[in-house]
Amino acid sequence: MSYVMLAVGGLFLPLFPLSMLFNLLYARLRNPVLRATVLLAWPQIGLTIIFASGITVPGWLHTWAVLTSLLYGLRALVLREVSLWTSFVGTSAWALLWILYGNGASPVQMQLFSLGISAPLVMMAFLIAGLERRFGAAYLGLYGGLAHSLPRFTGVLVIVVLAVIATPMFPTFFAMLSMIIKSLPTTPVVAVGIGIVWLLWSWAGARLLQGLITGPQQLAVADLGQANTWLYVVVLAGLMLSGVYWMGTLP
Amino acid sequence: MEQLISTIPALPIVSAILTQLLSVRLGRRVAWLSVTATSITFALTVVILALHLAGVAGDPVSTSHDWGVLLNDPLSAIMGVLIVGISLIVHLYSVRYMAEEPGYARFFVLLDLMTAALLVMVSAGDLVTLIVAWHVIGVLLYFLLGHDMRRQSPFRYAFWTLFTYRIGDVALIVAAAILYHAYDTWSLTEMFSRIQTSPEVPGFMGMTALEAAAVFLALAAFARSAQFFLHNWLPYTMDGPTPVSALMHAGIVNAGGFLINRFAPVFVNAGDVLHVLFIVGLVTAVAGSVLMLTQNDIKKSLGYSTMGQMGFMIMECGVGAFSLAIYHLIAHGLFKGTLFLGAGGVINAARRDDGVPKDDLYTFVIERRPARRRPPWLMMAVITLVVPAVVLGLAHWLVSQEFFQKQGAMVLLFFGWVTGAQLIFATYRMRTEHTGRLFTLVLSSFAVVVVGYTLIAHAFELFLYPDAAFRDQMHTASSFNVVWFDIIVILTTIVIVLGWLFTYYAEQNGKRANRLRGRAWLIFYALISREFYLADIYAWLSRALLRTAKSLNIWLRWA
Repeated sequence: MSYVMLAVGGLFLPLFPLSMLFNLLYARLRNPVLRATVLLAWPQIGLTIIFASGITVPGWLHTWAVLTSLLYGLRALVLREVSLWTSFVGTSAWALLWILYGNGASPVQMQLFSLGISAPLVMMAFLIAGLERRFGAAYLGLYGGLAHSLPRFTGVLVIVVLAVIATPMFPTFFAMLSMIIKSLPTTPVVAVGIGIVWLLWSWAGARLLQGLITGPQQLAVADLGQANTWLYVVVLAGLMLSGVYWMGTLP
Repeated sequence: MEQLISTIPALPIVSAILTQLLSVRLGRRVAWLSVTATSITFALTVVILALHLAGVAGDPVSTSHDWGVLLNDPLSAIMGVLIVGISLIVHLYSVRYMAEEPGYARFFVLLDLMTAALLVMVSAGDLVTLIVAWHVIGVLLYFLLGHDMRRQSPFRYAFWTLFTYRIGDVALIVAAAILYHAYDTWSLTEMFSRIQTSPEVPGFMGMTALEAAAVFLALAAFARSAQFFLHNWLPYTMDGPTPVSALMHAGIVNAGGFLINRFAPVFVNAGDVLHVLFIVGLVTAVAGSVLMLTQNDIKKSLGYSTMGQMGFMIMECGVGAFSLAIYHLIAHGLFKGTLFLGAGGVINAARRDDGVPKDDLYTFVIERRPARRRPPWLMMAVITLVVPAVVLGLAHWLVSQEFFQKQGAMVLLFFGWVTGAQLIFATYRMRTEHTGRLFTLVLSSFAVVVVGYTLIAHAFELFLYPDAAFRDQMHTASSFNVVWFDIIVILTTIVIVLGWLFTYYAEQNGKRANRLRGRAWLIFYALISREFYLADIYAWLSRALLRTAKSLNIWLRWA
């Protein structure tokens, strides 16, 4: 029974190879609202299942979770399709939630961390929809120069990518910090593995930004409206504040 | 006092927000908003430093959280003045320098945020605040270096910086986690007092917690301060705007020295880690200097010069001269900042007029007229060996009569003596017409530098580390085993003497050098000009990693 629950949990808090199902499913979604819903709900379902079943996480699963996270972090480095990039980084991040669960984090704390990880991914999904609407595809190296053609859009995109790759003071940062601190005394190798995952995310984020925002201006398209920009700014500020006041609680 | 401490980093943040919001309305004038805020911040940091010098100690400022504590100690006060001082100069310089660049307001927003992050870093009173500031600095620097988004190359090199800094960030987080688990507190002051009472808490792999933490702290410092193997990003970041280069070389890259000083209680209780700092610093200083000498690009040469200086700074920490490292980073920050900001103007001015005065001193120093006869070599040999030792010995004796008991001071004295002897030797070889005058000039300059350096370094030590017992602990912790110490001194002496002989022999023989030595020299030159092939190795490794990632994606059908 526990192995069945582990497998179901491993589907929603993606562990390789079960993680492939999520990525296949996500690649088929085209509607941004649907994508956002999946990004928000998928890990929450996983958390509900593992907390409801009360399964105990075996030691090897911590290593497996980190390896899954490393695998997707590494693979995200060379992706040029931005939507796929989002789902890979999401997979890499959600897999690490097993480590928090295994180290006895409370259900509320884990749900908050999971929401904190998903929220910037959801924003990415909407930004990707904006790119697809303007250029027909969200693809690195295809057009570039967004910093000049879409300055407001670029500003928002940069901050959202920073939130995804766990930059302070976003919730993802506190989630990563908490994972390293909690796993270090019992499994130092896992803690170092999480550190390497963090490095890979930074690399992947930098490649994404470099492929989209730099370069000479290519196409003249409409920038993000002022109202929408403010909406993104407010949500990002809210995320930052939630990072500081709710998730910044130290062990 | 508490409000003052909180206001200092808050002001640049408020300025950044206002600069962004008012940029459309005010246009280019918005830069003056940023300059004004930085000027006020600078004045406040000077007030804080003055209060410290007057002996008015303040309490740490804390928030209701476990973290978000700002320290108000001599180290944060002096670093605050340095950071905001340099930032103010960079702000003023950028008002006109960046006027033609796109993203003018963005540049000032980033500068303000960088100033705030640096201020928070130097005054962080707990581990989490320190990690947050440390991390944010790397991210902001990435965007400052890649300010010109029309081109790919600044971003490519900015990424090298970001990645190296992220290695240091992860190391710092691991060190913080070790320290937290060992001492059960995030507060630095609380942790340091617990360390003094129980320094032997068990850690990992046979090391104590402090030893393990010190190793990771050192790694974080190495990444930030471009120590050997983690230095490649530094000379290649010159594609960024000049004011950013100035700020980076003057106020960011030296954060490694600050970090080691901040965690001095950890390092003095961490066994041999200080010796590792000494060796890494020494290797970096030598490698940086050698690479600097072989560059034909002035900006890359300045980059490697910074690397060499950072090596010296880390080396000073390794011999227990923590406060000297702070003095060094301040002095280096000021002169390197001046070099970067002044280089363009000097080149332009030199194109119009060489600006060299045709006076007596010029003809004496530059247009040397070789003497027909040299002074007696024995007398010169005695002067070469004895005078630097006497000047250095007297200068140190002036500030502390027991300096002979401190091994770290002896190591620095040894290097000072070698430098002084080399200076006199080089002067002797100049064969000038007025030997007495030249030697008087050279020796008085040497004496002024040595005495000034010694007195200021001593004043820094008393200011930053007023506890005499802790100062002794720092010197004791950095001491080598006597046998090892002697071996290192003898080996270094042999290397230096061989270097002198080699130079002398090469000059005497000129083109008559044999073919084998010429070939060895070419190989050595290739090694240096390719910068030890490190950039090639890193590029090969990253390409291999990316190829692997690509293959994995194909095998797994992008799922």
